[in-house]
Amino acid sequence: MATPSLGKLDRPLLLALLALLAFGVFSIASATMEEGGKPWKTQVLWIAIAGALAVVVYTIDYRVWAGIATLLHGIVIALLGATLFLGTEVGGNRSWLDFGPARLQPSELAKWTTCLVVAVYLARRSRETLGLVQLAVLGLIVGLPVALIAMQPDHGTALIFGPIYLAAVLIGGVRWRWMVGLLLVALALTPVAWQQLKPYQKERILNVLEPGRDPSGTGYQTRQSKIAIGSGGIVGKGPFRGTQSQLNFLPAQHTDFILAVVAEELGFVGTGALIVAFWMLLYRGIKIAGDAQDRLGTYLCLLVVAWLVGQMTINIGMVLGRLPTIGVPLPFVSYGGSALVASLCGVALLLNVRAHRLVN
Amino acid sequence: MDYRERWELKDYLIGQRLERRVRLLHVLVAVLCSLFLLDFWYLQGVHGDDYAALAEDNRLRRLPLKPTRGVIRDRHGEVIAATRPSLDLRLLRDDRHDKEPQLERLAGILGRPVEELQERLESMRRRPLYEPLVLVEDVDLALVAQIEARREDFPSIDVAEAARRYYPRGDGFSHVVGYVGEVSEKQLADSDGTLHSGDIVGKAGVEKAYDAPVRGDRGWRLVTVNNLGRPIGRAEVAEAPRHGDDVALTIDAALQEELAAAFGEEAGAGVFLDPESGEVLAILSRPGYDPNLFADGISRADWQGIVSDPRRPMHDRAIASFYAPGSIFKVVMAIAALEEGLVDGESENYCPGHASFYGRRRLCWKRGGHGDVAVREAIAKSCNVYFYRLGKELGIETIHDYGERFGLGRTTRIDLPAEEAGILPSHEWKRRQLREIWYPGDTISVAIGQGYLTVTPLQMVRMIAVIANGGSRVTPHVVAGRARPSEPSGFRPEHVEFVRGGLADAVRLGTATRAALDGISVAGKTGTAQVHSRSATEDSDDLPKPLRSHAWFVGFAPVDKPQIAFAVIVEHGGHGGSSAAPIARRVLERFFDQQQPDEPERPPSDARAAVEAPDGDAVAR
Repeated sequence: MATPSLGKLDRPLLLALLALLAFGVFSIASATMEEGGKPWKTQVLWIAIAGALAVVVYTIDYRVWAGIATLLHGIVIALLGATLFLGTEVGGNRSWLDFGPARLQPSELAKWTTCLVVAVYLARRSRETLGLVQLAVLGLIVGLPVALIAMQPDHGTALIFGPIYLAAVLIGGVRWRWMVGLLLVALALTPVAWQQLKPYQKERILNVLEPGRDPSGTGYQTRQSKIAIGSGGIVGKGPFRGTQSQLNFLPAQHTDFILAVVAEELGFVGTGALIVAFWMLLYRGIKIAGDAQDRLGTYLCLLVVAWLVGQMTINIGMVLGRLPTIGVPLPFVSYGGSALVASLCGVALLLNVRAHRLVN
Repeated sequence: MDYRERWELKDYLIGQRLERRVRLLHVLVAVLCSLFLLDFWYLQGVHGDDYAALAEDNRLRRLPLKPTRGVIRDRHGEVIAATRPSLDLRLLRDDRHDKEPQLERLAGILGRPVEELQERLESMRRRPLYEPLVLVEDVDLALVAQIEARREDFPSIDVAEAARRYYPRGDGFSHVVGYVGEVSEKQLADSDGTLHSGDIVGKAGVEKAYDAPVRGDRGWRLVTVNNLGRPIGRAEVAEAPRHGDDVALTIDAALQEELAAAFGEEAGAGVFLDPESGEVLAILSRPGYDPNLFADGISRADWQGIVSDPRRPMHDRAIASFYAPGSIFKVVMAIAALEEGLVDGESENYCPGHASFYGRRRLCWKRGGHGDVAVREAIAKSCNVYFYRLGKELGIETIHDYGERFGLGRTTRIDLPAEEAGILPSHEWKRRQLREIWYPGDTISVAIGQGYLTVTPLQMVRMIAVIANGGSRVTPHVVAGRARPSEPSGFRPEHVEFVRGGLADAVRLGTATRAALDGISVAGKTGTAQVHSRSATEDSDDLPKPLRSHAWFVGFAPVDKPQIAFAVIVEHGGHGGSSAAPIARRVLERFFDQQQPDEPERPPSDARAAVEAPDGDAVAR
C-alpha cells in the first residue's frame, strides 16, 4: 500500500478549496463585523481542526476507512440518537451535542459516514443492478440518520441525504421498472407530503413559484437576499461595505445566506469566481472518481460529489430565490464547525482516492 | 457461461455504467454551475442598478425636519400665539427591553392608570417602528429629573424636545385665533401630499385660515438606518425646513380682552371694527374655550366636556350664528324708504300704538303710540308702526335688494373659516327653501327684523359700518394687510345722514342711552331677537333666562367721524339697551382712552343710566 504524499495531492482541487474557504472567512468577518467580528476567528480555528482531521482521513487508506465504515456510521447514529435527548437546542432545532468548549453537530458527520457506508455496500454487492432488497437496505442506511435528523427537527440537513440516496441508486444501477416505480411512488406521495408541510414551509414553496407575493412577510428573506445580490452589481460595493449585510437587512447572513454577502460586496466578480471554484472542485472530484483504482473509490467519490452538488444547489438556489428557503449551509463557505469537518473530510476522501489511483 | 464469466460480464457492465454516470455527473455539474452563473449575471449584471436602488431604499430613510410655526401677534405686536420648547417623554421601540414594566413604573410616577398609556400606544400602532412614540407631552422638569434619576429603570424611554403651540392670553382669543392639532385623515387626504401624518395644523380661526403660511414647509434629512430602522451614523440635511411666517392681526389685544371681560359669563358675540378699512379690532364669541387644551393633544375628558357643553363653546357665534336682527334692521328699512322716495326727512307718520295689516293687529312697543314721527325719530325711538307701514309699501323684493346692498344674505368674506351667510328672505327664497308662497304678512315681520330674516353679528357690524363710513361696504379682515377695496353701496349721502342722526339720537335720548360716553358722541341702535313667541303684554326681562330674547346693540363712534363700529349680541340678554349697550360702552371707553392716553380716566356718570327705554322689539310679532 503506497503512502500518500503531498506530491500526489490534486492541486487544482486544493486551490479551489482554499479559495472557497477564503471566501467564507472573509464573508463571515464582514457579516459579523457589527457584533465585534469574533466568528471569523472561530471559523479559522475550525478550518484548522477540520484540516487536521482531513489530513488523518487522507493519510489512512480509504480501504481502511471502508473497513470500519459500518462501525463509524453506527457511532454517528448513536450520537444522533443521543442528540435527541441530550442535545442543545439552537433556533428551534435540537441538533447539537455540547463537548465542553466545542459543540458538535452529528448530523453533519452523518453525511460523511453515509457516503462511506453506501459506497462500501455498493462495492460489495454481487448483483449487477439493485433489486428491491438492495434498495431497501440502502434506504435503511440513509433513512436511519435521516429519520433521527428529521426528528430534531432539522429538515434542511435531512434533505441533503436525498441527493446521496439518489446518487446511490443511479450509480448502483437499477432496472427501469424500479426506477419508474420509485418515481410513481414519489409522485403519489407528493400530495401527502404537501399536507405534512408546516404552513411556513408551504409559504416558502409558493414564494418560489410566485416571487413577490409576500415581500415583507414570508418572502422577506428571499427578497432581501436578491436585493443584496443584485445591488452588488459587477464589482460589488467593496469588502465590508455592503449595506444590506452591514445594516442587517440580510437574515442568517453569516450562515445560510453567506453567498449574498459575497455577492453584495464583491459583485459578479466574486460570485463568478466562487461558482468557478465550486465547479473546479467538483470537476476534479468527478475526474478522480473516474480514475479510481477500484469500484469502491469510484463510488466513494461520486457519492461525496453528489452530496456536495446537492447541498450547493439547494443553498445557491435558495439564495437566488429559485428554491424554497431551507436551512442548508453552503459547503466550505458558511459558518459552522461540524459542517466544515464533514465537508473537508469528504474532500479528503476524494484526495485519498486520487492518491491511490492507478498511475500509468 | 460459468460463474466466472458471468461475473466478468456483470463487472464489465457495471464499469460501463459507472463511466456513463461519471460523464452524466460532469454534465450535470456543468449545467448547474452555468445556470448559477447566468442567474447571478441576470441579477447583478442585467438588473444590478434596479436592485441597487432597492438597497438604497432599504438603507436611506427620509426623516422630516419640522418647521416652527409662525408667531401670531396683535396689531401692537403683542404675542397671541407662539411656539415654545417643551419636553416630551417618548417610547423607543426598536430595542429589546421589555416595555410593560417600564410603562407601569412610569404610570406610577405620573399617578395615572397604566391603561391610559397603553391605550395611547395602541392608537399609534401603525406608526413606523423607527419612530419613537410620544407617551406624555409637555412634562415638567421635576418629572424628567425623576425619570433620569432612575435611568436604568427606563431603558426604552427618552426625553425629547418638541415645539409646542401655546396661547398666552387664554380664552379671549379662542375663536378668532383658533387652535392647532394633529392633522386628521381627511385633511391628509385633501392636502395633495403637502401634509404628513403627525403634522400639527390649524384647526380653527386664523390658525386654520392662514395655516399654510403659518405652518411653513417640512424639510428632511437623509439618514442611514439598519433593518430595525435605527439610525446608523450621522444624518445629512437634504432640505432645510421653511419656518412659518409670523402673522400680525388687526385685532387689538387690549380691546379684545376688555370685550371678553365685559361679557363676563354671558353668551353671545361682539365685533368691533374700523368702519373705513374693515380692520377688525376685536371679535369675540362667548363662551370660549382654552386653546391650550388642544395644543398638547386634548384629553378625551376635556374634549367630551367641550363638545357636549350645551352652550357650545366651540361654535363661533360672531361669524356663524344666525340671529334675528330685530330693530337694528330698521336701519336697512329707513335707507330703503329714503332711497325709494317713499319718505323724506320731513314726512311724518302717525303712530297710534297699533296698526292692522292683512287682518292682523300689530302693536307698537309703546302702548300709547309715538304720535307723529319722521324717519329720524322713528329710528331713535324705534317705532314699530312706522316701519310696518314702510314694509308694506316697499314689499319684500325691495327690502331684499336693500338688504343685499348692506351685504346681508351672504358672507362678508372675512378671512376666517366657517363663516355663515344668514338668510335674507325673498319670494324666490321661500319658494325654494320652504316650498311655500310668500305671504304679505311675512313682509311685515321682516320690516322690523323678525320673521325669516337672520343675520350674523359680523354682518350687522358691516351693515352699521355702511352708515358710519358714508355708504360703502367694507370687507372685514383680522390679518393686517388683507384689506380689500370697499364696495360702494350707492346710497345718497343725505339719506345716510338721516339714519346717522337717528342712530345718534337713539343713544342721546332714545333706546340706547346706556351706551353714551362722556365727550365722545355715540350712534347706535338696540334690537331684540326673539327666541320665544309670547303675548304682547309680556316683558321679555321678566321671563326665565332661557326664554328671554337676545339683546342686540350695534353702532359706531364718534358720530361725525367714526373710528369704530360695533355689533354686540347678548344671548337671552333681554333688552339690547340694558345688557348689550353697557358691554359696547365699556369697550368704546377703552378704545377712546387708548386714543388719548394722556387724558385722565373719567369716572362713570350715573346720569346716563337713568333714562331707559325698551328697544322697540318687545311686541314685534
